[in-house]
Amino acid sequence: MRKLLDFLINRRHWFLFLLLEIISFALVYRNNAYQQSILLSTANVVAANVVAAGGSVTSYLSLRDKNKELIERNGQLEIEILRLQRRIETMSTDTMRFQAYAGDSAIRFPYTTDVAKVVNNSVSYLANYITIDKGRADGIAPDMGVVSERGVVGIVSTVSDHYALVIPILNPKFRLSCKVLGSGYFGSMSWDGRSVQYAKLEELPRHVEFQVGDTIVTSAFSAIFPEGIMMGTVSAFEKQRDDNYYSLTVKLSTDFTRLNTVMVIKNYHKNEQKQLEQEFGAND
Amino acid sequence: MINTIRSILYFTALILLQVLVLNNIHFLRLVTPLLYIYFIIKLPLGYTPIRLTFLSFLAGITIDILSNTSGMHAAACTLAGFMRPQIIRLFIREDLPDNMAPSFRSLGSGGFARFVLVFVMLHHFSLFLIESLTLFDFPFLAIRALSGVLTTSLLIYLIEVFHKDSKRSDDQY
Repeated sequence: MRKLLDFLINRRHWFLFLLLEIISFALVYRNNAYQQSILLSTANVVAANVVAAGGSVTSYLSLRDKNKELIERNGQLEIEILRLQRRIETMSTDTMRFQAYAGDSAIRFPYTTDVAKVVNNSVSYLANYITIDKGRADGIAPDMGVVSERGVVGIVSTVSDHYALVIPILNPKFRLSCKVLGSGYFGSMSWDGRSVQYAKLEELPRHVEFQVGDTIVTSAFSAIFPEGIMMGTVSAFEKQRDDNYYSLTVKLSTDFTRLNTVMVIKNYHKNEQKQLEQEFGAND
Repeated sequence: MINTIRSILYFTALILLQVLVLNNIHFLRLVTPLLYIYFIIKLPLGYTPIRLTFLSFLAGITIDILSNTSGMHAAACTLAGFMRPQIIRLFIREDLPDNMAPSFRSLGSGGFARFVLVFVMLHHFSLFLIESLTLFDFPFLAIRALSGVLTTSLLIYLIEVFHKDSKRSDDQY
């Protein structure tokens, strides 16, 4: 008995080792679930402040590029405004207007956006995360969409009071329904873990016509993103063996390696849509 | 006492360097140097296995919290820290001074180089294996792990060559 006790005491570092490994693996496995723990991620205030300090330095480094991008985007939007104004003019001249018609002020575009700064971003892991500096206090909630000026970035997963954790496209948990611009057919977008520039669009029906270089946009099904937000362009495709679907390699329009300002999309109608879908599912 | 202060300084400096600088480096979109394990390598030779294992876990979990990797680094570091005395004993048989940290001088050039290589390999391979539990792709995993081992070990050798302990002849710490 005494020898056994001595043996156990001599080997006590083994027990500590086993205990710590069990804790680590518990964390790995538990966090494979969709929701991340707030305490053990950069959504936690202390950790967020540390990485935010780094982010505030690096955000200055890319100001020149950001500026150029914004000017370009501004130009595009101005042209878009001019084009739409022209259309309104031509339409209003050849439509007879019914003066008594009162528009329903309740109907409006159900999305608003909120600009946030990226304080932490990883692209080198197989499951990457982004931390942004807006949280519950700014009205951010899980399942909101996040976009950059170039296209889709990801979906909010966990929020604390002033920070939120975003699951970007570069994470195996990310899935989003997308379509080829101009056709109604949709497929499921996911990441294969290889390159930060490319993702896969799968389950696209075989009879859809498209070419390399065509634009891939979000579909209207998700309730997270409005329809038609840029995702990327088709760079290659292959037929999946044994079934009737295409698998497309999509070159992502967002450059995840230099991301510092993003917009969070809030959808007023999302709860309504979700509730409706759930009610239907419950009755089914 | 001086050893403790040194360890705390190493810990803070290396963790900050890792999280704020090195985590943003993706050489060839493939390699991110994981230099923070230099902290575990430089823990004094006389530390008990319990202390080594616990401090390694602490370093790993801190990196996990700051880079959203949830337990992966903690698991790999705990294993590497736990195995450190065995790895050192693999290459060096004679008794070592307790209050010194592993370095080219205390372990000998060849001994230290081989110890660092095996230690970094153990850490990287376990880290990438745990990471790929979610997404398995063997050739990619092997390339990432091997290039990571090379980069991190080379960085550690470089730092160690310029480290004052390697050049000074007195045993003062």
